[in-house]
Amino acid sequence: MSPLWLLAEYSYSPFFKAAPLWGYWYLLLLPLCLAIAIVYKSIRCDSMSRVPKQALELFAFIIVVMVLAAGALAALVNILD
Amino acid sequence: MSRAHDTNPVPAPLVALAAWLVPGSGYLLIGQRARALTISITILLLFVLGLLIGGVKVVDPPASYTPNPMRIIFDKPWFVGQILAGPITLVTAAIGKDSEDRVPSSPIYSSHARSNEIGTLYTAVAGMLNLLAIIDVTYRAGRSGGNP
Repeated sequence: MSPLWLLAEYSYSPFFKAAPLWGYWYLLLLPLCLAIAIVYKSIRCDSMSRVPKQALELFAFIIVVMVLAAGALAALVNILD
Repeated sequence: MSRAHDTNPVPAPLVALAAWLVPGSGYLLIGQRARALTISITILLLFVLGLLIGGVKVVDPPASYTPNPMRIIFDKPWFVGQILAGPITLVTAAIGKDSEDRVPSSPIYSSHARSNEIGTLYTAVAGMLNLLAIIDVTYRAGRSGGNP
């Protein structure tokens, strides 16, 4: 089996193979949260000029709550262990 | 909002259909261009990012659409969220299925583990955000011609 074949077989090709992001998958939650904040605030705000600031605030709020929830769950698991 | 949009000539069901066909386009029909662009770009980008992360096979359609809708929901629950993003989901599913049918050793691989989970999550959340947008734009179109 040639190394070139292996390289072609395991290299990333967009849309056809999964992106090699296993090591830092948790960072992929950031764009997801940002998109949720933008769309939600675009729907809720009367004026679109207020969306950037409010979406950033919501984004920060989601991240803080997620980190706190993760910390609480980790503590619970440690206590139960 | 300008006075030109005080009476909306586009019926609400048509606005809802347009919003499903192309995310954000419902707002365009009721004259809210900035909102339309913001929502459209965000939802489509989220969907495409999901495909880039997990590959086109994160859109996993049910084997058959006809027999029992409840069975489809229980068999492929994520597809229910994904289909809300519009026909782009059907196109993606067709690309994945077509390559599988025509070429058994297809170059399109099914992703696994985290990549598959995150890709599925991105595409399904894109669809569910589009559902929020569809409900909102239909309400605005039916109420007062697009005024917030």
